[in-house]
Amino acid sequence: MINRIIRQIQRYKGWFGGGAALCIFLGLYTGLLASPPDYYQGELVRIMYVHVPLAHTSTLAYSVLFGGSIWYLWKRDPLVDNMCQASASICALFTALALITGSIWAKPTWNTWWTWDPRLVSFTVLLLILGGYLMLRRLVDDPVRGGRYAAILAIVGGIDLPIIKFSVEWWRTLHQPMSFSTRGVSISEDILIPLTLMSIGCWLLFAYMVMVRTQILYLTELLHAKKGRLLSQTHFSQTTP
Amino acid sequence: MTGLYTRWALILGVTLLLAILTFQHYQQHLATLPMGTLLSSPPSSQPVRIQGMVKSGTLQGEVEQGQATFEFVDGPASLVVEYEGPPLENIRELKTLVLIGRWDSQNQVFKAQETALINNFGFVAAAYLVSVLGLGWMVFAMSQRVMVLFKEIKESKLYEPEADSLGYKE
Repeated sequence: MINRIIRQIQRYKGWFGGGAALCIFLGLYTGLLASPPDYYQGELVRIMYVHVPLAHTSTLAYSVLFGGSIWYLWKRDPLVDNMCQASASICALFTALALITGSIWAKPTWNTWWTWDPRLVSFTVLLLILGGYLMLRRLVDDPVRGGRYAAILAIVGGIDLPIIKFSVEWWRTLHQPMSFSTRGVSISEDILIPLTLMSIGCWLLFAYMVMVRTQILYLTELLHAKKGRLLSQTHFSQTTP
Repeated sequence: MTGLYTRWALILGVTLLLAILTFQHYQQHLATLPMGTLLSSPPSSQPVRIQGMVKSGTLQGEVEQGQATFEFVDGPASLVVEYEGPPLENIRELKTLVLIGRWDSQNQVFKAQETALINNFGFVAAAYLVSVLGLGWMVFAMSQRVMVLFKEIKESKLYEPEADSLGYKE
């Protein structure tokens, strides 16, 4: 079933890419030019329009990896395994960019590039888990076994997701508390518009990138299989009298 | 491949347009004029932004009421400021800030109506550059890789048309 859903979604890949580009350009325009500066942070608040969507998308990407890994261990569907591998590499990119932009924002506001804050540490742990996932896939010779081990690691690493989300409530932290919660939205409308546009743009971009990366993984396997068949056919025709 | 490069040329064009608009916005609304330039060649009557520090022992007036007079210094240059605008909550002596107002060359007084925070825009530019370049480069590299793989499969002379965009056959 999930295999069919992935193939159906793949048909609309271009729409995801186009939608992402449109939302991101509108988000950049409103974020950089149309939205007002913040009362306390001034123009520095504009870093939020890239940092927060990147961070949200990386947790979304890990959720996809987590769900996909459970499905893969259950059904052993190679397409889902490819999708998980694609999600992991793209999630690593989004996580790294969220950490870098967060560090750039921290310097003028907290007067430090890095601090051992629970939110920052739990987010860095996410990047390390993703690094481990991708290394495991490369280091294990048998791709099926590697995929299985990596899926187990991704499921175990899923424990980091609630820690990231609630770290600002569970511990004393420099990081600002959650802006979206059951208590409501604590952001001004002027700031919410570019933030929403950029967030939707990043989610669509992530979906598009996963589709393209899954396609790359499939095509690479196909090329290897075809080259192998071509070689074996040549070898067979040369050795057969 | 031509379609890929056309799409990316369009994306690059829009990105450059946004960058130019942002730079113009910065020059017109956010950049500050050095105090020395304001004193040597004052602009006609349009409002300008100047950056400096409130000189110690010169602050007078009702700051909470939105009226104050003080001396504003930036390195060796200094000028007298008459502020009349929204109440200033955090103005004090030795405070660095940006003042927005007009230079009255007849009375040699800077008449300020607004204040702003001093921001280092390099941080904002760095965050946007890292994000846009990082994501853009990654998406471009991936799109190009798909094209190269399709070409390689075609050239391996074992190409079979795909049933769907992923390459899977039903």
